[in-house]
Amino acid sequence: MSQYIYLVPLFPLIGFLIAGLGRNVLGKTLLGWIPSMAVLASFVVSLLIFRDVQHMDPEHASVVVQIYNFFHVGNFSVNFSFQVDQLSTLFLLIITGIGFLIHVYSIGYMSHDEGFGKYFAYLNLFVFNMLLLVLGSNYIIMFIGWEGVGLCSYLLIGFWYKKKEYCNAAKKAFIMNRIGDLGFLIAVFLIISRFGTTEFSEVFRSQAGIVANGPFILAVTLCLFIGATGKSAQLPLFTWLPDAMAGPTPVSALIHAATMVTAGVYMIVRSNILFTIAPVTQHIILMVGLATALIAATIATRQNDIKKVLAYSTVSQLGFMFMAIGVGAYTAAVFHVITHAFFKALLFLGSGSVIHGMSGEQDIRMMGGLKDKMKTTYYTFLIGCIAIAGIPPLSGFFSKDEIMMHLFTNGAYGKVFWALGMIAAFMTAFYMFRLLFITFFGKFRGTHEQEHHVHESPALMTMPLIVLAILSIGGGLIGVPEVFGLGEHWLKEWLEPILLKSELAHIYINELSHRGELLLMAIAVIIAFLGIILAWSVYKNYDAKKQNKGIAKFLEDKWLFDEAYDNAIVKPTFAAANVLKTNVEEQVIDGAVNGVGKLLHAASNRLRYLQSGMVGFYLFIMVAGIIALAILLFFIH
Amino acid sequence: MIFLDIAVNSKPMDWFPILLQLGIAVAFAAVMIGATQLLGPKRKTSDKLVNFESGIENVGNARQPMAIKYFLVAILFVLFDVEVIFFYPYAVNFRSLGWDGFLEVLLFITLFLVGFVYIIKKGALQWEE
Amino acid sequence: MNIIIASALLGVVLMLSGVFLNHAKGKRTLAIFASIILMVVAVVDVMQNTNNTILHFNGLMATNSFTAKLNAVIAFCSMLYIFLFSNEISKVGLNDAEYFALIFFALTGVFILTSYQNMFMLFLGIEILSIPQYILAGSDKRNVKSNEASLKYFLMGAFSTGFLLMGITLIYGATGTFDVSKMALMGSGEPSTIALLGILFLIVALGFKASAAPFHVWTPDVYDGSPTAFTPFMASIAKVAIFAAFIHLFHASFAGLAGRWHIIIIAIIVLTLLIGNVTAVYQQSVKRMLAYSSIAQAGFLLFAVYSLNEISQKGILLYGASYMLATMSIFAVLIKMKDYTFDGFNGLAKKQPVLAFAAAIALFSLAGIPLTGGFFGKYYMLNGAMQNGMPIWVLIFAVLMAAISVYYYFKVIQAMYFKTSIQDATEPDAVIDVPFKVMLIINTALLILLGIYPTIVTIF
Repeated sequence: MSQYIYLVPLFPLIGFLIAGLGRNVLGKTLLGWIPSMAVLASFVVSLLIFRDVQHMDPEHASVVVQIYNFFHVGNFSVNFSFQVDQLSTLFLLIITGIGFLIHVYSIGYMSHDEGFGKYFAYLNLFVFNMLLLVLGSNYIIMFIGWEGVGLCSYLLIGFWYKKKEYCNAAKKAFIMNRIGDLGFLIAVFLIISRFGTTEFSEVFRSQAGIVANGPFILAVTLCLFIGATGKSAQLPLFTWLPDAMAGPTPVSALIHAATMVTAGVYMIVRSNILFTIAPVTQHIILMVGLATALIAATIATRQNDIKKVLAYSTVSQLGFMFMAIGVGAYTAAVFHVITHAFFKALLFLGSGSVIHGMSGEQDIRMMGGLKDKMKTTYYTFLIGCIAIAGIPPLSGFFSKDEIMMHLFTNGAYGKVFWALGMIAAFMTAFYMFRLLFITFFGKFRGTHEQEHHVHESPALMTMPLIVLAILSIGGGLIGVPEVFGLGEHWLKEWLEPILLKSELAHIYINELSHRGELLLMAIAVIIAFLGIILAWSVYKNYDAKKQNKGIAKFLEDKWLFDEAYDNAIVKPTFAAANVLKTNVEEQVIDGAVNGVGKLLHAASNRLRYLQSGMVGFYLFIMVAGIIALAILLFFIH
Repeated sequence: MIFLDIAVNSKPMDWFPILLQLGIAVAFAAVMIGATQLLGPKRKTSDKLVNFESGIENVGNARQPMAIKYFLVAILFVLFDVEVIFFYPYAVNFRSLGWDGFLEVLLFITLFLVGFVYIIKKGALQWEE
Repeated sequence: MNIIIASALLGVVLMLSGVFLNHAKGKRTLAIFASIILMVVAVVDVMQNTNNTILHFNGLMATNSFTAKLNAVIAFCSMLYIFLFSNEISKVGLNDAEYFALIFFALTGVFILTSYQNMFMLFLGIEILSIPQYILAGSDKRNVKSNEASLKYFLMGAFSTGFLLMGITLIYGATGTFDVSKMALMGSGEPSTIALLGILFLIVALGFKASAAPFHVWTPDVYDGSPTAFTPFMASIAKVAIFAAFIHLFHASFAGLAGRWHIIIIAIIVLTLLIGNVTAVYQQSVKRMLAYSSIAQAGFLLFAVYSLNEISQKGILLYGASYMLATMSIFAVLIKMKDYTFDGFNGLAKKQPVLAFAAAIALFSLAGIPLTGGFFGKYYMLNGAMQNGMPIWVLIFAVLMAAISVYYYFKVIQAMYFKTSIQDATEPDAVIDVPFKVMLIINTALLILLGIYPTIVTIF
């Protein structure tokens, strides 16, 4: 079955071509359903391949399928090949499965938009690139996919390009990602220069000779991590993600919650062997992840745009994943990627349903009391909130708990990290339920017209919500800890072949007893409930008119990150640019560049006259040239 | 065979008579032209500067536009004339080449005829429109 | 080998169609049909050929899998050429059937040049290729520029033929053979002056045909003056064939003496890149700019003559294919334009998005932007030369010159996409129908395919 892997990215590509070329020709029904079916077809193939991998001997399940030799020069060769193994098939299922649900949802959500065909073309192109990213068997193919998803993200954030601010958001996302991509690219160059190949299997096999924590491996892993911070919105490159909410809501769900932003996590898990021999980088990742989780969570508590809350929540949750990576708990990171994909996609789609029902209103201060008017949306959103808050037995509990457990047992300061992580988890429960209470409880605060208009979304939109809600409830079952006596941790078993070397290298300082583990879980659950209760006590009767002050205002303003970047980087850059412009550029560089240009033009103008049109003169040039060459041949040699 | 012998076994000295012959020829011509210039009487008349037209009076300038048809016919003549030359070696080797040779020449003539048909159809040999 | 006979016979058939068929459409259809037959024959040749070299006609010709592939690439491009330009070819003058016939006769020369084994055949191939081109250059009889182009091309071509013959003669004098594979032996010992002079003359003659500086002077006038329907043929298919001949001769015969003539090739490369790129900057007409750009592209193709290794062999296939396709695309768009200046392209993207897109991709490829065939073509060329020890400054110079080329290629893209114009950029009576657009899209798709799957040309 693995040899048919090329079908998985092929279907979305065909869908992209059909939707892209036929966007003005085909009807809306076709334009919506052809791309959706393409992704569904990919999902089916992925499922078959997944089953195949499942039934194979885990040691030999990893297959590299070469599609063709991309290029081959001298002894450096790049294959266009796909790697089918436990990790990539898992991601295939997430991307195509959730991708399909979101495509279906989009048919309803985007039904009134004039760019319908274009939207689906972009969406399918995104899925194609994302599949390329996770399937590539070397860094080059991964990088192609990596750039491709960046492009699609840019296109979709700026989808409603007529609004200037949306375009700015798209540009911001693009530039921030570019900074990260540069890191990735440098890492790839370093890998090529050292190993002479970018093929994963060969790179990981030949890492043995490298000094742990040596300058080379630190440079490679740090550069890869910089790439990941850009794509996965970590400090300091996270500010693009909240702005990226300018795109249509299903896009936020697919790209900026479930798939693309987890690409950084995927990339690091894929290269786990390299990171394991660079503990310094891992510490840095831990710190960055923790800081991101905390800061984003605090900001999320004071946002009033329904999508912004979810965006900061996503940043915070990604922080959790990076914390897991930082302590070498790659399984936990992947686990959280999966469960997060379920519940965050659910929450985004739910918010999309709310926005749809409110005719485009995104400010939660204008909402309230929606639980009776949008029943399905309310219940599914509630499930999402419970899942992300970490209440058992919903999926979020298991994955978050696993991360916390690893933090706790990691090294001497593990308990401190654990405590900080718990604070972030507490805030998670708080801000999610704040959002829920303000949006769905209390009285309706919008205009009269809106109140009249509020309606439940069509079945096309609620069906995906229900499916995702079920997944959010049951998704945790793939990683039930052994302490519950339900057998082995399935995901851990599944990823064993990929992570084996890293797991062996990792030493847990203080192993937890079963009682200790259960105790930690109990604390986590209590803290989550405390967050919910606090949210209930503060926001059950929400007054929209109250202005935020002090710290609250500071949080509402997102820690002034944008302003700080503006003041610390953008403005000084502009100021410096101005100085440079007036002094250096206009005189030195402009002089040089224009000089080159002028020289070129002048040279061109002179050379032009060689072309006099006179055959006699032409022959003269030729003969003169022959004589010159003869002199070169016989005398200068 | 004789030619080959000469080509293969010749030494530079063997070519000397030819060089000598060449030298004498050039010298003779030079001497003759020089001698007539020096010795002959010179009477210049306008008639002597006129082009020689076999005794007929000149009529106008020869550098006039001419109908392209002259050239066309001339070039076609040369073309077919040259192609006919190929029949001479074939005629000489007619017997030894046998049927294979005959078929090849037939092919040659066919191509030849195709060209001929083409120029006829194109009207290249039609003198008057 | 069949392809040489096929192209000659198809030429004869097309010539006769001029007198037996009355409708221009019938002649066009026949020409298109003939180009398809040629393609089929080329494919059959590819399938029959093994890696062994097979001699034909008492060692005058030799074929192997590489020449068969090259022939197939050329036949394919010829087919695209006929498809894209047949309408415009018919419009050049009254003798439409003859134009098609001449193209097929020229193709006979092309196929001789890809697989000759004897310098007689080299000479014949070059002449069979050149003479139809002289005629095609002047086929627009009422146009002074066309007449001028034809005459200049003929006069200078005759001049260079003299060098070619002289070179062949000198090489014969030095080696006693016309067979290119047997000359390879002369690498041992200090080469005679006669041999070196012969090589110089051959470089001059082939460099002239390939429009390498300083023998390029005819190129702008001829390419610019010829009817736009024939320029792409001269600039792409004919040129690639000349390079195939060039590389074959130097690979088979003079590789042993490479140490001596490398310096000449380097001088020619540097001069060609410099003159081609720098002069193109100042041009006002896109057609003339493309003529200079074809000189610049020849500079890159010359790298293969320098390196003569496996990479450059792949490179010539890839570079040749992408260069031919790109040239065809950009000329197919150009020919539909009313005004050949840069301003004439203003706002094309709004009015004719397909044409503008095809032109943009073609220009990307010519400039060597990644994800188009041109990028890998240049990459293989430079890499091959580097492997063969070319001085690094030449490579850097080549890359800088490629950067300059981006400037003048992108001026067209800028005009098409970022400038506006009130009136239509295209000729009012130009035929821009669905089949034309489909062919253009196929052409563009192939260019992109070569950019993401460059090894396809070497494996088929």
